Amino acid sequence: MAEQNQEKYKVTWKGWLALIILIISFSGIFAKIDGPLRALDFQVLTGDFGQVAKGVIFTGKGGTGARDGFMFALTLFPTLMFALGCIQVAESLGALRAAEVLFRPILRPLMGIPGATGLAFVSSVTSSDVAAVMTKGLVEDKMMTEEERAIFVAYQYAGSAPVTNTFGTGAALLPISVLPVGIIIALIFVVKFMGANLVRLYIRWQAGKNKAEGSALHG
Amino acid sequence: MANQTSTGMDLQKAKPSIVEEFVAGAKKGFYIGAEMIAPAMVMAYVLIQFLDITGLMKIVGSLLEPVMAVFGLPGEAIFALVAAFFAKAAGCATAATLYSKGVITAAQATILFPACVTMGTLIGHFVRIVIVSNVNKKWHPLLICVPLVDAAVVMVLTRIVLNVMGLNG
Repeated sequence: MAEQNQEKYKVTWKGWLALIILIISFSGIFAKIDGPLRALDFQVLTGDFGQVAKGVIFTGKGGTGARDGFMFALTLFPTLMFALGCIQVAESLGALRAAEVLFRPILRPLMGIPGATGLAFVSSVTSSDVAAVMTKGLVEDKMMTEEERAIFVAYQYAGSAPVTNTFGTGAALLPISVLPVGIIIALIFVVKFMGANLVRLYIRWQAGKNKAEGSALHG
Repeated sequence: MANQTSTGMDLQKAKPSIVEEFVAGAKKGFYIGAEMIAPAMVMAYVLIQFLDITGLMKIVGSLLEPVMAVFGLPGEAIFALVAAFFAKAAGCATAATLYSKGVITAAQATILFPACVTMGTLIGHFVRIVIVSNVNKKWHPLLICVPLVDAAVVMVLTRIVLNVMGLNG
């Protein structure tokens, strides 16, 4: 059934454009340049708070404890609302479907899981739960094996829904981070693939060991 | 399965406009802020304040100094990782608090950022992802270690990236 749905959906130019703009926006490559292209950058569009005194925004200076924590949380609302709004628009334009087209053929070499997991794979970028339910369905439909599921889940589990979580739960560190948020997300993806491949190696090693034991018994 | 059928049906329904999608997403962001971030920030600030006044932070910090030095972090940074174990938002909030107290630098907060997201909410997501996707039980212990290993590696990676870009001042 997952297959049928995937064929029905055509990725439009809007999806590709949304994906490209989203990546450019979060990567921070246009943040420092002059001219109108700066307008594509996420941090630039997020803007700055006005100052109530030189270098001091409305949260004030020297606060402590629960009160200061609350004031700091207030400063994060604009970023959160803007980021999740952008992600939702990009998703609705088909940016994830476009990403699926890119990733489908390389999932096998990348993590040793079948291309049929493509839709679950891109869903896991923004939602932990949808992908987990899809993964269960894929094995029940015999579209992936028990071992492949373990590898795929190892990928999903670390930093689950990395894009949503980096903006959502990581909001407190967004204004502090010295790296653009796109690089932070990219680094999380790198270790997610690495973790999945560790499980892949482990499973292969186990399978090899079992085979060796089996032949020893027979021999 | 029910899930996939509903996606199929969604496609047939009248699609909301881009403006409606943005507003819906922004609203989601507001609720995440109110329901997850603000409580986590209040908790983290109070906790760090408590640890700071009692002197516990200094003690734990100096005990863990050699371990955390591997990642280019002071010993106190462990509090961010411990908080992250329970919830990603709490981990990131704690790292932000440590930064505002001057315990860690912005570069060190950056090193903690991807790590808190990677290993965060370890138990909660174990249920939501590993249990829901119904992975064979024999791999459960292995799977629970994966985010921890990933987090350790991502801290080293981030440190390297910072060094390469010359931002580790």
